[in-house]
Amino acid sequence: MARVTVNIDLNRVEGDLELQVDLEDDVIADARCIGTLYRGFEQILIGRAPRDPLVITPRVCGICGTAHLYATVRALEQLGGIRPPTHAAHIRNLCLMAENLQSDLRQSFLFFTPDFCHPRYAKHPLADAITASFTPFKGRVARECLQVTRRVLEIVAIFGGQWPHSSFMIPGGVTLPANGTRLIEAQDLVSRTRDWMETCVLGDDLDHWLTIERAEDFFQWLESSPTVANAALGLFCRFARSVGLHQLGCGTGHLISYGVNPLPDGSYGGFRPGFYDADKSQVESLDQSRINEHVRHSWFQHYPGGRHPWQGETIPDYMPGNDRYTWSKAPRYDDKVVQTGPLAELRIGGDPLIADLLALEGDNTWLRQFARLRRAAWSIRAMRETLTALKDVLDEPHFADPNIRDWPDGESYGMIEAARGALGHWMRIENGVIDGYQIVTPTAWNASPRDSNGQPGHWERSLIGVRVEDPEDPVEVGHIVRSHDPCLVCTVHFIGRGRRRYPCA
Amino acid sequence: MANLVWMQTGACSGDSMTLLCAERPSLESLLEHAGARLLWHPSLTAETRFGSVLDAVTSGREPLDILCIEGSLMTGPSGSGLYDTWRSRPKIEIVRELAGIAGSVVAMGTCAAFGGVHAAPPNPTDCTGMQFMQATPGGLLGPGWRSRGGQPVINVAGCPAHPNTMTKVLAMLLEGTPIPLDELNRPAPFFSSLVHQGCTRNEYHEYDAEDDVLGGRGCMFFSLGCRGPLTPAPCNVDLWNGRSSKTRAGVPCFGCVSPAFPPNRDLFETPKIGTIPKMLPLGVSRAKYMAYKNLAKAAAPERIINREMEP
Repeated sequence: MARVTVNIDLNRVEGDLELQVDLEDDVIADARCIGTLYRGFEQILIGRAPRDPLVITPRVCGICGTAHLYATVRALEQLGGIRPPTHAAHIRNLCLMAENLQSDLRQSFLFFTPDFCHPRYAKHPLADAITASFTPFKGRVARECLQVTRRVLEIVAIFGGQWPHSSFMIPGGVTLPANGTRLIEAQDLVSRTRDWMETCVLGDDLDHWLTIERAEDFFQWLESSPTVANAALGLFCRFARSVGLHQLGCGTGHLISYGVNPLPDGSYGGFRPGFYDADKSQVESLDQSRINEHVRHSWFQHYPGGRHPWQGETIPDYMPGNDRYTWSKAPRYDDKVVQTGPLAELRIGGDPLIADLLALEGDNTWLRQFARLRRAAWSIRAMRETLTALKDVLDEPHFADPNIRDWPDGESYGMIEAARGALGHWMRIENGVIDGYQIVTPTAWNASPRDSNGQPGHWERSLIGVRVEDPEDPVEVGHIVRSHDPCLVCTVHFIGRGRRRYPCA
Repeated sequence: MANLVWMQTGACSGDSMTLLCAERPSLESLLEHAGARLLWHPSLTAETRFGSVLDAVTSGREPLDILCIEGSLMTGPSGSGLYDTWRSRPKIEIVRELAGIAGSVVAMGTCAAFGGVHAAPPNPTDCTGMQFMQATPGGLLGPGWRSRGGQPVINVAGCPAHPNTMTKVLAMLLEGTPIPLDELNRPAPFFSSLVHQGCTRNEYHEYDAEDDVLGGRGCMFFSLGCRGPLTPAPCNVDLWNGRSSKTRAGVPCFGCVSPAFPPNRDLFETPKIGTIPKMLPLGVSRAKYMAYKNLAKAAAPERIINREMEP
């Protein structure tokens, strides 16, 4: 059997992504994700003042900087034993939801659906509708998405001054309180976003849509009226399923989520955190001490098994000519390969429709993307609820000065659900300055390489077995990989150093 | 029509995401009305193969009118540029090649202009800006480099660059309007007001009502690291996302348009000589400033001392 290795670079993801796949008779027999950029953030942070990451880590990622800011502030608050006021927690949650909503909509309609306009689909019965809706800068949905996401982000600017790259979350709260004016402005932005979601994306009332709980009811709803069928979601679902995206790109069944809308008492206002063990088909509570990172197939100085981020080392050690192939580490949960993102968030959090669809068809390219749009609807509703809750605590402080001049030495972590899923920062302070800072991003989970036990990462696994029609233009690979909403700029461990050949097994 | 190629090097995509937030004009408007043709943007164009775009412009099949670079230029390790590659090729090599044939070259953001956050100590990637390494002329292309149109790299500094500044600079290039540059090759019309101008905490600054804890209503210049009075940028005259700015929201200005951003010190503390900031508002003499501040403090009304005014 002829085995050929094909290099694929993909755009319309955040950052640079290169993949190497081995094809046997046009079927992917093996796949390797290669990050091509090293930026050195963790080194830049060492020796700096403990609050400096509030300015530095948002700059890890231009699309999810608010999530990085949130992870940093949670790590600092854990270290300092600080409990932020409820007023501040609601503002933080509102702004993070706005950022995630922006990302979900842009990823769906600017990064994912343009692939449906590929010449391969020119004769598809829905081609005209697809072109009219999803062509970059020209399609109706694509254009409206630009305007709507711009508007959603104004919410972050109202409370945080600007998006992206603000530093308005500080240990002890936020820098600016909500007041009547800001609440009304934010409420208006949420309402207008909801209108758009209903008219352009759903073709239905948002609350009604969220009451659909069974796969069967969902498929019926999809065909229930021309308005629904021809709205962006209907069009996306009908097209994606007609080209088989619901049978494509199955990866690991294990899921991880760090939880939505954390509140000062340790509870969550939104979907709860957890680990979904696919072997037992059950959600377990999350335990960060079970997270570790492997370097067996990475170009880092070797250690056996996996290490928790606090014990982690990042000592580059380029070793050509063996079975190491990447500068990315492999995060694992209890040594299991897991995937993260909206699908994980909603399944763990208990969205019945997502649970039913997952049980019915397994994880797949369509479902990951569908879950992203489903989350967008949940976010819009939760933003309205958060604004109502915020109104009730307007008289409470937005900031309680923790009165810390000198930060104590110690270790802490901050975990949050970013647009792409589970984001964790692990920090160590010694002699009043940062002594260690490890960031494990959602894409690090999804795009990880093989680990000490030889288990391929989630993306790698989701590509294996896929038939590629045209290796020169692998449209299928684009669909699968983009459905994970990759963010390579975020994956700070990546140290690219060119390409090397992987010995064929 | 003018062909535009947007390339990312060592970047976070923040300038691209900010570009999508531009409103006056918007990116869509530039494409529709101002004659821009986006040949390549890593996140936004339907074209999936950078290689074919590269072929088209390097072979001369398509002219390259405007080249935008977003991100630091990684020269490490050991000058190889291999910390940032496209198909095994160092990005810095591709940037040099494209810059050589481009009508105009724009550095979008502080990273491409001066090195930016990745150049902060210890600069693990040996990165630099297009024509500056922080404040020192040189960078990747060298101080004497000029584009096909005869200009140095235009530094649209900012972390991220201001959305409407990015699109206005592009609009001016598309129209052929000359763009005067300041001493750091930033487009002068957009760097001729200070962040301090239009800051809604100005009255607190006037009367020396300075906060030493975050989360308040007062001025953040004396104690909290704010660089608004010495940073030229449009943040408070052309509001972010059409709504606000960091200083209005109580976040200090970190001087992100400056070549030394981020400064190598505690970012939330103002270095001082005695009780007065070491770095004063642009062009102000220390003795006169101290005299003015003493008088101002004495003149402060109760409503300011008590922080009654909403910024």
